[in-house]
Amino acid sequence: MIKITPAEQQLISQYIQTITGIYLDQSKSYLFETRLSAIAEAQGCKSYQELHNKARQDPSKKIEKSIIDAITTNETLFFRDKGPFELLQHKILPEVIDARSSQSALKPRIKIWSSASSTGQELYSIAIVIKELLRDSTDYSFTLLGTDISDAAVAQASYGKYNRFEIERGLDRKYLQKYFTLFGDSWKIKDEIRGMVNFKKLNLMQPFTSLGKFDIIFCRNVAIYFTLEDRKKLFSKLADSLADDGFLVIGSTESLTGVCPKFVPKRHLRSIFYQKK
Amino acid sequence: MKNLSILVVDDDPVIRHLLEQRLTKENYQVQVAEDGYIAEKLLRANSYDIVLTDLMMPGDIGGIEVLEIAKEINSQLEVILITAHSSVDTAVAAMKKGANDYLEKPINFDELFLRLDKIANLQTMFRNAQDLQVAMDTTENVASSTIQTLEMRVASLQESLDKVEIMLRNDHLPDDVRIINALDIIAES
Repeated sequence: MIKITPAEQQLISQYIQTITGIYLDQSKSYLFETRLSAIAEAQGCKSYQELHNKARQDPSKKIEKSIIDAITTNETLFFRDKGPFELLQHKILPEVIDARSSQSALKPRIKIWSSASSTGQELYSIAIVIKELLRDSTDYSFTLLGTDISDAAVAQASYGKYNRFEIERGLDRKYLQKYFTLFGDSWKIKDEIRGMVNFKKLNLMQPFTSLGKFDIIFCRNVAIYFTLEDRKKLFSKLADSLADDGFLVIGSTESLTGVCPKFVPKRHLRSIFYQKK
Repeated sequence: MKNLSILVVDDDPVIRHLLEQRLTKENYQVQVAEDGYIAEKLLRANSYDIVLTDLMMPGDIGGIEVLEIAKEINSQLEVILITAHSSVDTAVAAMKKGANDYLEKPINFDELFLRLDKIANLQTMFRNAQDLQVAMDTTENVASSTIQTLEMRVASLQESLDKVEIMLRNDHLPDDVRIINALDIIAES
């Protein structure tokens, strides 16, 4: 493993923040060694300084992509933390459906965005909740979008295949049997759920108004890696991308106090969601 | 006493006794079965950490079947196959079905003990990871309930503060009334 010098730590930390928004302070610099060493070696670099130069000069951005994949890959689970999905099922979806049904005689259109979808577990969990709640979901038109900064994560999400370890925690047996097919030693999401969702690459640090407005946005456990300043920018942009009566769900240990005055917190049972003021 | 319990399955009485003796001497908890049928009964009745089974045994339940039964009962169970040199290909095929490892006859006990140590280490790490996961979930639950309570409290205080500001800026009321009303709002919050 290539050792990192203090000067390189600062350089790489700044570089990572610029390309991903993720701010890793000195205490996290072990991540550079454990996650970037292999990339440096594969590129024939003897130091992180050299890797940094090479990545910035690479017109194909291939090295940058592999750095993003290595740094942003985090553990995510199906129905990670049951709260948000109970909230979705019992409070948010019924309210959004009611609101959209009363607004127009046409088939109600409901747009949901998993804004840091990682390898897809959150968005597939949302799709499963919708399927469970509305047996006949053809009465509504759902758009379920998942975005992530990592190409590798988007590719895995699109493929929808998970190993036992990724699947056994969090996911109920009944859902596993119902919505997944055994595929060798792994489980693959069934087409009926896969067909409900779309994944694409998106860097939350960049503008995303082109995605349009959403009725429900999930942005859980991502902003925690951003600096306060970047967090403020992100949630302000998310507010602009949310319908006036839309719902925002953040991580259960996150807070918007002092981050974004455009939202007010509301409580439902053991969970909190946010709406625009 | 080591924390691992091992089921030894072998139809050859010499090997069976040798394994039982050596493993017991190393402080493992050992039980033996002389064929696949007895192995199945024992597997269903007791819980083991490791199954050490001969690949070729007479009857319908050979080593592969013991492996399948063991994995069906508990997917965490580690299975090591004992095989003659000539059936290494079968042993490799068995590893694809979930066997952890295989040993060639004649058994090299140093090699066996090394593998058992590795499995013991892995199981300890796995248990620690599970314990940490539970601890993390608990911490996360407590933290989230604290944060959510504070979040709601801050929001309601902010609301009161906004009301106080509106009240104090209300020119239509005399100063003393504004102050009294503002104090009432604060008292209610």
